[in-house]
Amino acid sequence: MAARAGTASPRGRPSASPARRRLKPLRTVVAWRGRAEWDQVMVGLYCGDSRLQQGALDRVSAWKSRYGSKMPLAVDCTAELIRCKVLDSSGRLKSHELILSYGLALVRFVNLITERKQKTVRLPLRQLAREVGIPVWVVDLRHELTHGKLPRLALCRKGCDVVLDWLRKMYWNRQLGNNLCEKDEDEKQEQEEVEANAELNSDAWVIQTPQHAACQKHKEFHEKVRDVLISYKNEQFRVMETVSKSRELWFDSSSEVDWILAQIKDLMQENRVAVAEALLSDGFLIPKMDCLKMLNIKYEANKEVWQFKIPPIFYCFWQPLLSGLLSRNFTQILIEKMFMELRECSDSSELRPQFLINWISELLTGIAKVNAGKKKQLCNKQESVKELFLHKVPLQWIRVTDSCLQAPCWATPHLLQMILTIMRPRLSRSSRKNLLYLASIYTEGGPPPLSSPGLSSDSSEQPIYTIESLQWRARQENQVKNQGQIVEKEENVPERDNGVEEVEEEEEEMVTETNPLEGLGHSGTMVAIAEKRAALQGSAWQITADEVRWKDFPLGKLPGQTDDPDGLMLDNYSMMSLLDQPVREEWKSLNTNSAELNIPVTGGLLWTQNDFYKIKSGLQLF
Amino acid sequence: TGRWRRAAPRTGRGGAGRGAAPGGGGGSAVMPARRSRPRRALARAPARASRTEAAWREFASSFTRTGMVPPAEPGLVAVEAAEGTAVLLLPPQQALTFTGKCRLRCLYGAVRLLGFAVASHHPGLPVFSPATHCALSLEALPGARPPAADLRQLRAAARGAMRSHRVRLRDGRVPFRGHSLLSRIFEPQSNFTPEDAVLASVGIVKCSPDNGLQVSESTCLALEELIQACCGEYEGIPVVLVCGPKNTGKSTFNRYLINLLLNHLPVVEYMECDIGQAEFTPPGCVSLSSVTEPVLGPPYTHQQMPHKVVYYGQTSCEQDTERYLDVVKYVFSCCKKEVPLVINTMGWVKGDGLLLLIDLIRLLSPSHIVQMDLCDWEAMPPLTPDHVHFSAGLHTKGKQQSKCKQLGLGDLESWKYPEGEDMSAPQHKLLYVNPEFPRAGAAVHSGILHDMSILGYLGHLQSPDIGAVLPLHCLVPYQVPFNAVALRVIHTDVAPSNIMYAVNASWVGLCCIPEEVRCQTDGPVLLTQTPICDCLGFGIVRGVDVEKKLYHILTPVPPENLRLVNCLLLGNIAIPECVLVGQQGIEGEIPYVTSDYNYSIVGSGKLRKNKQHLLKRKECDYA
Repeated sequence: MAARAGTASPRGRPSASPARRRLKPLRTVVAWRGRAEWDQVMVGLYCGDSRLQQGALDRVSAWKSRYGSKMPLAVDCTAELIRCKVLDSSGRLKSHELILSYGLALVRFVNLITERKQKTVRLPLRQLAREVGIPVWVVDLRHELTHGKLPRLALCRKGCDVVLDWLRKMYWNRQLGNNLCEKDEDEKQEQEEVEANAELNSDAWVIQTPQHAACQKHKEFHEKVRDVLISYKNEQFRVMETVSKSRELWFDSSSEVDWILAQIKDLMQENRVAVAEALLSDGFLIPKMDCLKMLNIKYEANKEVWQFKIPPIFYCFWQPLLSGLLSRNFTQILIEKMFMELRECSDSSELRPQFLINWISELLTGIAKVNAGKKKQLCNKQESVKELFLHKVPLQWIRVTDSCLQAPCWATPHLLQMILTIMRPRLSRSSRKNLLYLASIYTEGGPPPLSSPGLSSDSSEQPIYTIESLQWRARQENQVKNQGQIVEKEENVPERDNGVEEVEEEEEEMVTETNPLEGLGHSGTMVAIAEKRAALQGSAWQITADEVRWKDFPLGKLPGQTDDPDGLMLDNYSMMSLLDQPVREEWKSLNTNSAELNIPVTGGLLWTQNDFYKIKSGLQLF
Repeated sequence: TGRWRRAAPRTGRGGAGRGAAPGGGGGSAVMPARRSRPRRALARAPARASRTEAAWREFASSFTRTGMVPPAEPGLVAVEAAEGTAVLLLPPQQALTFTGKCRLRCLYGAVRLLGFAVASHHPGLPVFSPATHCALSLEALPGARPPAADLRQLRAAARGAMRSHRVRLRDGRVPFRGHSLLSRIFEPQSNFTPEDAVLASVGIVKCSPDNGLQVSESTCLALEELIQACCGEYEGIPVVLVCGPKNTGKSTFNRYLINLLLNHLPVVEYMECDIGQAEFTPPGCVSLSSVTEPVLGPPYTHQQMPHKVVYYGQTSCEQDTERYLDVVKYVFSCCKKEVPLVINTMGWVKGDGLLLLIDLIRLLSPSHIVQMDLCDWEAMPPLTPDHVHFSAGLHTKGKQQSKCKQLGLGDLESWKYPEGEDMSAPQHKLLYVNPEFPRAGAAVHSGILHDMSILGYLGHLQSPDIGAVLPLHCLVPYQVPFNAVALRVIHTDVAPSNIMYAVNASWVGLCCIPEEVRCQTDGPVLLTQTPICDCLGFGIVRGVDVEKKLYHILTPVPPENLRLVNCLLLGNIAIPECVLVGQQGIEGEIPYVTSDYNYSIVGSGKLRKNKQHLLKRKECDYA
């Protein structure tokens, strides 16, 4: 009972997973070293030259050993069919023998491929075959082979070719995102038809369908939002052009803008997240270059030139829309979304991260102002109208902090500090301090550049402890144990300063010396290695003496080895047979006293009369 | 707290007879200590332990002196002693079921843990109770027994202990049940008592006794009988074979039995015939070990190399039952039969599996067969001596068929029953066990357990004096020339020219064949048949240098054994995926790892084995 429960769960997995796997590629272990080997085998199997085919089959035999029982069915089936073709072309088999080999390979193919499609209720093979695009006559051929007369060789050959072609199209060409198709146009079309057909029918597709539909719906919705946003942009540009230079006019929201706003609010009711996504797609809150040009904004590549502010004109361009949209919930969503986007692009030096950072900063400033209650009621209308927020917006600050920390970039310390200042309830002073330090260490900018004096004053006096320091300490302790062999390293206390040079220097140091971890391993195990070496004196087994930085080489790869798929081929080897090992024939029955039989035959390969007698006496007739 | 009040009078009664010692000598103090990895702790600083031990004993006895055992305050069961150590006070027959890991040392009195009685003279024991397996229960034993000084005394004590043991087992069941009931009533589940916090500080968490091992009546009876046979006056050395379907608790029973036996004997032999879930070795091995230490955890926590191991190379033996029996026979022939032998078998007891089991029983001729089976689920017929005698095995025949043809072959003094005379045929005693709690091992998929025991074995590669665990690819490998070791792929025919593609980055058995490996050339030496030979350990072929003709191998096998290795056997057991996938700090592609392989494409999956049975059953339902 429990066994059944145990095996049921992994079996459920393959069918449920494709939809998920689309989203996040899963790293799995396969039998080929790399792409090159896969390609080589595929080309080899299908090349038509039986010498090359044999080579590919030999490689597949090694795959089979690696995979054990997990060998992909399609590879197995292909190899079996190709083996028949190789046998056929060798001319060593007579037609009847060939029919038998082809027959078994074909039966196995049809059964194995369709069995995976079987559901709880047994379906006829023909139906299953139709679902995956196997021609019906191949199924009939299978029935004939198992239950009827043996078919003619020609039919078997034809079946084999058709099935191999099917495997190439359905498995080899599609697997590993393969584009290696050397076929002409109509064949391609045909293949697409087959594929579409197969996909529509396969159960994998059934699972994907709801998601696919949802995806489609999402796309349509996204388009709708975009349309509205574009109309907003056009309207703003129109206002700018007609009433030239008076950008204040943007604030007296026209009826047109009000209408657009209402539309977006409607859409927001349906899906806030999608609206936030659309706003952050290129061309809206994140402008394209041409948009900046139209607004006469000079783009500076220098990242800090804008001081975490959106260029005023651009700010004013979007302010009416944003102040209308930024409800409490939407603000939370938008800020989190911005951090998420920032995480995706924090490395690039383009407009996107810069605008994201500045927008976040603007939003936070706005929130800070409104939450602090500093909004001057009596101030002139224009001033108050420029604000993004009209009411207090209590956000879920812990979530905001989280998303900020998940999108580390050069500006993180600044943004984090803003968040920590605004957030209510506040974190404890020490946690704030520690978070800021950590953020600044992580982003390698040193202590927070713009931090308030209270938080950062004492940071300069203390060195910042990093993982390396801990490792260094561990190494020191180790060395003390080993009679302090290397003491001069003591100077290399990894103290980090603000400077970028320092960081680079340290990286260099790590490259030239050793990785701290590896160093640890070395000093700790040097003695052990020496002992092992001594113990192995005179043996074939040795400890690799070369100074190899093993950590750079994954398992299965040695220094100097290339990805050449032929790199592990052997040209010479010798075979050795063991004389006193039980040979299978002896084992026909447990009744033979093999303890006696297993005595090494001393007189060479020939049996003496005595041996012969022993063997005979061990034989049994059933 | 109610529990304690209940428990207190019982303790008082126990203590009354012993007079002087206030609070009764029955109380036991246990020190689960050191949160860090127990294995490491075991290796480290025994000196410090002995220095502090005296202090602990003093500390523990101070509780008894002040009458705190039973405790003065209700609810005081565990006290935090120092960083990462805690002292636990258990009144007699009180049990603590827990998950987690710790090092256990008994300071006063005695406790029993999975059958093993831990007394104060025992050194610290590493204890593992992970969620993958049945939780362990720590149970205080009534009365402290001083370790016997000489042999005669030992024998008397053993017999005495055994007698009292029987009593204890019988008594032990009642409190178990009563206790679980009580705890459910009186123990608020959400409350995190101070005692829990103390236990958590050493790395264990208390859990309901229901999660612990439930010893059923039939189990008890079987264990009693076996202990009597092993420790009492009995002609011949008992050979106990344990069999039954998967997940009926064979391994747990074996552990319990071994631990119980170790209370009376210095050593017990254990033969592992379950190549899927071996107790002491990575999967795929048949092995014979002399067990001297109690087994207090699942297999992946005590990986070691027993003195006789043969690498079969697969986790199931359907494909080559002949070689399987060969291997079992070879290992069994190494058994000295001087101490009791416990034999574990596979959970494959249907169809051919049952026939193979009958072969196995004929081969090993056990004195006792423990057949585990669920009462409501008759997976196999009772393996009575008659049944084994008359029914045919997979490779052997039953008595009647074989009788006539054996005539005239007098010189066959085989391991099989002596032919002809029926009466002298070894008669085993069948002990039928109905485990009431068949959850052992069922919670975790067998593939994961395989990986865990391989990882547990590979743990020996880490040097104990470094705090950090180094990734495997960072370690310095051994190297050995192609022509110094013979090579054989066990269960697959691999084209010789492509054999290195199979060997590279694979799990290999490091074996020793009696022949010298002959080398005409400097190329690799491939064996033409699979040898049955001693396996000295396992390794990962870290790389194959075709130019210099060297294998690079990572292995924890000590050098003095490694120099004997002259044969590499490559089975169908794979390195755990996480080892390959999780390699950090590699630039570029990792060999054999891809994220492009798409399992949703037709034919990308593996052959499904049991599907047909399932379908057939479904069909029957329809019909």
